[in-house]
Amino acid sequence: MSENPDQTERSNYSSIDRVLHEPARMQITALLYMLESADYTFVMNQTGLTWGNLSAHLTKLEEAGYLHIEKSFKGKRPLTMLRLTDQGRDAFRAYAKNMRSLFDNFPV
Amino acid sequence: MNSVLNLKEIEKRAFRSTYQDGLWDIYYGLVVISMGFFIYHPKTGYSWINIAMMVGSLLIAYSLFYLGKKFITFPRLGQVVFGETRKQKKRLMILFISIVVSFQVLLLLATAFGWKLGFSEGRLNEHLLVSLIASLIVYAGMTIITYFSDFLRGFYISFLMALAVFLMVYFNQIIYAVAIGLIIVIPGIVLLVRFLYRYPLIKIEDHHE
Repeated sequence: MSENPDQTERSNYSSIDRVLHEPARMQITALLYMLESADYTFVMNQTGLTWGNLSAHLTKLEEAGYLHIEKSFKGKRPLTMLRLTDQGRDAFRAYAKNMRSLFDNFPV
Repeated sequence: MNSVLNLKEIEKRAFRSTYQDGLWDIYYGLVVISMGFFIYHPKTGYSWINIAMMVGSLLIAYSLFYLGKKFITFPRLGQVVFGETRKQKKRLMILFISIVVSFQVLLLLATAFGWKLGFSEGRLNEHLLVSLIASLIVYAGMTIITYFSDFLRGFYISFLMALAVFLMVYFNQIIYAVAIGLIIVIPGIVLLVRFLYRYPLIKIEDHHE
């Protein structure tokens, strides 16, 4: 039995990862995808996000299991290291693949 | 945010951001100035005082660099561990440096043997040859480091370092090392000041993420 085209289209849309589909979170994930790990300050400087804004997005990524946050101290300064989990890396790759396939036949 | 998500460009930009503090420029400039202490004195040769001064000034240059990174850059720019792309480039850099250094050692040995056997007499200006070889050694090594470490300012620094070595060895004058060292250091200081303005220190109490 062939699949209904409408159903296929709907399933393509629903396969979009909503956690990653937010520009700021995609920016954070793209950066961390290319790095082994980085601290909070580095990610903030690279993305241009404010402290609070970044914090909110990181919480969402952590809740989705995409981000590992490790808090420690370096001397007297708190150090928050951020690293994408394997699940996060897989999700980012899958997201990129989905987005490419979604616009495959887009008339330009 | 850029409209095009170029991951390689994101990584490169993140890596290059670590050079914004100008500390590498200051360090390389001080290294060039330090080399001036190692100048050959025609009458006395190389003195131990000169060697000690050079080693001492190199240690000071490195300490300044290390402390600057630790107390100025990291608290402001943050800390980062780069991924496999960068590690691969580092491995390639070490490989190329090893090849170039091996070649340079062979060149030096060949030159030394050539002099010992008198091949160069009457044909080449020894002093000019030594100056050229020394500057080429510096230039080749520095250019490779610059290329693989994506340190764009490193290309003109490599050229200036090689020029400093050439002039210093050829004219046997410390002033060339000092002048060229300062030409490298000054932009570094300007960059450092700009960096301090651009990245103010984030207070510890703000770390309640």
